[in-house]
Amino acid sequence: MLSDREIISTLEMLESEHLDVRTVTLGINLLDCASHDLEKLKNKIYTRITHYADHLVSVCDRIGRKYGIPVVNKRISVSPIAVVGACLSSSQLVDVAKTLNSIAEDVNVDFIGGFSALVEKGIARGDRALIEALPHALAATERVCASINVASTRAGINMDAVLLMGETIKQAAGLTSEKDGIACAKLCVFANIPQDIPFMAGAYLGIGETDAVINVGVSGPGVVKKAIDRAIDANPDLDLGQISELIKKTAYKVTRVGELIGRDVAQSLNIRFGVVDLSLAPTPHVGDSVGEIFQSLGLLSIGVPGTTAALALLNDAVKKGGAFASSRVGGLSGAFIPVSEDLNISESARNGYLSLEKLEAITSVCSVGLDMVAIPGDTSADTIAAIIADEMAIGVINNKTTAARLIPVPGKTIGDSAYFGGLLGESTIIPVNNGQDSNRFIRHGGLIPAPIRSLTN
Amino acid sequence: MNKIILSVLGQDQPGIVAAVARILFEKNCNIENVSQTILQTEFAGIFIVSMPEDLAIEDLRASLNSELGPMNLHAHIERLAEQAAVFASRESEPFVITTKGPDRKGLVAGISEVIAGYGVNITNLQAVFKGGDDPGDNIMIYEVDVPTDIDQQDLHNDLRQKAESLNLVISIQHRNIFEAINRI
Repeated sequence: MLSDREIISTLEMLESEHLDVRTVTLGINLLDCASHDLEKLKNKIYTRITHYADHLVSVCDRIGRKYGIPVVNKRISVSPIAVVGACLSSSQLVDVAKTLNSIAEDVNVDFIGGFSALVEKGIARGDRALIEALPHALAATERVCASINVASTRAGINMDAVLLMGETIKQAAGLTSEKDGIACAKLCVFANIPQDIPFMAGAYLGIGETDAVINVGVSGPGVVKKAIDRAIDANPDLDLGQISELIKKTAYKVTRVGELIGRDVAQSLNIRFGVVDLSLAPTPHVGDSVGEIFQSLGLLSIGVPGTTAALALLNDAVKKGGAFASSRVGGLSGAFIPVSEDLNISESARNGYLSLEKLEAITSVCSVGLDMVAIPGDTSADTIAAIIADEMAIGVINNKTTAARLIPVPGKTIGDSAYFGGLLGESTIIPVNNGQDSNRFIRHGGLIPAPIRSLTN
Repeated sequence: MNKIILSVLGQDQPGIVAAVARILFEKNCNIENVSQTILQTEFAGIFIVSMPEDLAIEDLRASLNSELGPMNLHAHIERLAEQAAVFASRESEPFVITTKGPDRKGLVAGISEVIAGYGVNITNLQAVFKGGDDPGDNIMIYEVDVPTDIDQQDLHNDLRQKAESLNLVISIQHRNIFEAINRI
């Protein structure tokens, strides 16, 4: 017998706190689709993906209804296309991206990730072709997401790749100038990319993965915020240790939802269940914001002093609660701070509380990085690369994942608004130091060596 | 051994279970199952009891009535058939149906009529109607077993339609979600 309290509190999380499963992402291995014949490769990819994904959306919807909890997004991640299409030219790879886009339309998923390359130690021929293909591939498609891993704690930072990505991001923005450079919103540059991220734009299926796998991304910033609000209303003298406990318990509940629904989807599709990604993922809706949690914790706004400590507390508590709730945890697992995708964070940037430098600082204690940050369109490729290099260094030295998803918005400058639409949201363009200049340090190129793992001060 | 089912009703007060259990013990009866609940001020208890062959139900009834009568409690006893005729159980899945909305007559009748129409069995029902317009004060929670061989979509649609006509907000969810969220 369930208690009425159990039932009513669960319903509240659903009705007024935006509890949902943010994404069920079907990972599909395409490695054996490789072929030097473009048509053959495209056909194989089409057959493979539709074979696994034909029923993905209908099954997710049915299981969402069964539990009364919506699966908001259904997505697909595939093996890195730089490996699958290693013998293709960059223009052929653009064609592959278009094929992936039309498959995504056919099976009705909103994004397909994996137009990706892993170049942390060196850029192979196929990797270079894929990076060259990125601007056109992302400009010509709507649903294809790309990620490039340019650094790892074991390999160091590939600065040649970092510079190349600075230039690539500029080109991609230029090709979608009429849409505020939206191609860049589908491109992440990573350090230590995990193989099983369900969230976009970084989702791809790792080389070490099986044929097909279901990974789940849970959400729940609104649930965490309301839980903090209720507890502080009831007892304004709560200390931070008690608040951490509360966040842990809430993260536990949110994660259990993802685990239950993910396993049910996997079982229904007869596909292996992979991981639950315990990230707090916001959307541009009031009440579904990570930024609002900082205000509930007592800060004026995300970005003011105290933000890094508050995020450290939040991120750690989410991981602890989530890790206990799920038997398979992976992906990014932390709090996301995508500026344009979170109404409250976007507002903080507009009000000047949140600078690029503070964003970078807080990425040292949260999972993702400089995410969906709109910067002036005239920011040089060197400076973009330098921002990426800084972000990669935080990940490499601290043995964690970091990423940069920067959008130099063509024709716009500091204080202007950039509109990306839908889940990608909108944001004020924030200032960048030394924005237009070249950067001699970055142009040295080469590899920044892997860090020493002792003497850790 | 004869089995009986004994129900006890009356105003709640300390000592009801103790009184019933003492009488049963003195009559050499064994309690196999017991469940009690309190609604507002009223107590209700159901006991399944095995009693010795040489005890007549009338004797037990007389003892219960004479001891419980002064406490303003009413006891009712019936013999359980050896092999109680159980309704044909079907393979089913547990769901929880919750409704919220302003109180009026016919809410339980309306919803339970739809549930019964599909052969869905209610395994637990809690309903509180405090009146007023606050939906949180007027709530029905049905735990039900939904046979797997019926069209669940039809059931959901009919329930939603009925709820709408009664001005209720309804949710229908697999029971596992509540257990997953609330229990370790």
